[in-house]
Amino acid sequence: MSTLLAVNDLRVRYPVRGGFVDVVHGVSLDIKRGETTAIVGESGSGKTTLAMALCGLAPVYGGEVRFEGELLQRDRKNRLNPDRKRVALMFQDPVGSLNPRMTVRKALAEPFRIHKVESADPDREALGLLDKVGLGEDFADRYPHQLSGGQARRVGVARALALRPHLLIADEPTAGLDVSVQGEVLNLLSQLQQEMGLGILVITHNLNIVRHVADRMAIMYLGRFIEQGDSQQIFSQPRHPYTAALLAANPSPDPDAQPGEIELKGDVPSLLQRPPGCEFHTRCPGVREKCRGLFPEVSIDGEHRQYHCFYPLDY
Amino acid sequence: MTAPVLDIRGLSISYGTEAGALKALRDVDLEVGEGSIIGIVGESGCGKSTLISAIIRLLAPNAQIVQGAVNFKGRDLLGLSSEQMRALRGDEISMVFQDPMTSLNPTLTIGRQMSDVQHRSTVSRSEKNACSVMMLERVGIPDPEAQLKRYPHHLSGGMRQRVAIAMALMAEPSLLIADEPTTALDATLEVQIIHRLKELQREFGCSILFISHHLGVIAELCEEVIVMYAGEVVESGPLREVFIDPKHPYTRKLLECDPARIAEPTRELPVIEGSLPNLVNLPDGCIFKDRCSKAEARCGIEPPKMSGDGHRAACHLLDHFQETSP
Repeated sequence: MSTLLAVNDLRVRYPVRGGFVDVVHGVSLDIKRGETTAIVGESGSGKTTLAMALCGLAPVYGGEVRFEGELLQRDRKNRLNPDRKRVALMFQDPVGSLNPRMTVRKALAEPFRIHKVESADPDREALGLLDKVGLGEDFADRYPHQLSGGQARRVGVARALALRPHLLIADEPTAGLDVSVQGEVLNLLSQLQQEMGLGILVITHNLNIVRHVADRMAIMYLGRFIEQGDSQQIFSQPRHPYTAALLAANPSPDPDAQPGEIELKGDVPSLLQRPPGCEFHTRCPGVREKCRGLFPEVSIDGEHRQYHCFYPLDY
Repeated sequence: MTAPVLDIRGLSISYGTEAGALKALRDVDLEVGEGSIIGIVGESGCGKSTLISAIIRLLAPNAQIVQGAVNFKGRDLLGLSSEQMRALRGDEISMVFQDPMTSLNPTLTIGRQMSDVQHRSTVSRSEKNACSVMMLERVGIPDPEAQLKRYPHHLSGGMRQRVAIAMALMAEPSLLIADEPTTALDATLEVQIIHRLKELQREFGCSILFISHHLGVIAELCEEVIVMYAGEVVESGPLREVFIDPKHPYTRKLLECDPARIAEPTRELPVIEGSLPNLVNLPDGCIFKDRCSKAEARCGIEPPKMSGDGHRAACHLLDHFQETSP
């Protein structure tokens, strides 16, 4: 399938007192049409900043991004300017991302007005969108505070998909939702993806949903992808020790499950003081001398699997 | 068995709304034994938060306690004056909230906040600081002395939550209430926090009431679990029994929906059809009947009562399920 988004060595750097901090530190990624890519990593690893940079909401310090083959230019403030009609963003907080003074109908019609889509009757489109995400017409005149978390999430999906984008960037699309409602939202996204051939970039720290919905996944640590590749392969055979620890730590709801945990020592280092050498060496259970001094360049392994580690796990 | 630390009997709470009384909690029983870790699971709107707010008496102004009793070490909390209640909070009962960034004050150092929670103690400032350092050490924070001078934004999410736990355990409470304390963390830190809580519970001997909708975390940490749905307790019992052999149809569905339990990757995740009942005009009979695939005529007439010994559930069809389950 054709490549929708090609990110090459993207960097986001913010100035801080006495220097700068690299929040996204050289990230490369390809997203294909009709495919779901998940980015996992803990809070503060740079996931959301990456999404913001791709949407033109955060300044880019280096690297290039091609969307549907064309190189995205930067504006005066160094932000990328993708065509917002073709790239949609779903924010983390579903209620907070809706204007509390706008009814659902108005919120859904807004993208058409902003982008001056003249062929469309915004009101009719709004009702059609509501139907598509499984909400009845009676939701059209409700305000955000009259919606439950799951309903607000559906409105978020409807709004993001209003202009039939080609790429959807969803930041924690199910955070704070119950398992049942989470299933509904993810099923809806999968179904719309099939109908529209949408490429989806999901940012999450919920590994259970990644296993079900993602074709590819990337694991982020201190602003870098330490491993990326086919998600089923990564789940069955992680190569990077951090990936292995992350997957093993995922608590199982089976009370008899054998805890196969690999306990990581210590805390995530500060972005202001990146460790020398391999940036994971301070917490790595298999650290050796070489890791403390040298940075492991990317290793490529079979089907597009990439990782940064001198001593990858073997199977 | 020793007397439970917390004993809630028949607690019902309603919120006054324009449409009428919203019956958020109905006839809830809960017992927390000394030194036990009890988990509460249930979806949003099931009354978890109302229940906790009732225990620490921080209910919204439009909430009304319709009936019931909340006994904490033999005292009825609902009958205490607000001064008496304030003396208990953060001393005998303390809490860890979901988001450590918003529960810590961003403008004060960790050290200042940690000595503030020791406001009851009459020792000198340096002794309070020593106490803080010791607590930070116990929750596994490296270089605790240096941390006292730092602000919350200097710390990572996992460290902040550990600071919050250290503050909650400062006064060696008998009951620690933790409301989704790991949702903001990644899996490796989540496991760290759970292990830490288990260790601390053993050291301090306090009881923990742990609220989460992450079933995996509950399974890892708790000995007993309570399942709530739409303001009622529908099932309770030892964790293994409830998770391996759920009795209530809601518990079964909830467990089935957990993507972690589905071995084969699928794009069509199971969901619980239907929506929560209206809590202003409660339906007759069983609260779950509209979403239950096995509902019978009597489920629509008579509300089921909790039954069973140890592992209890509120369902008319319990015997029926026992026959059909493999």
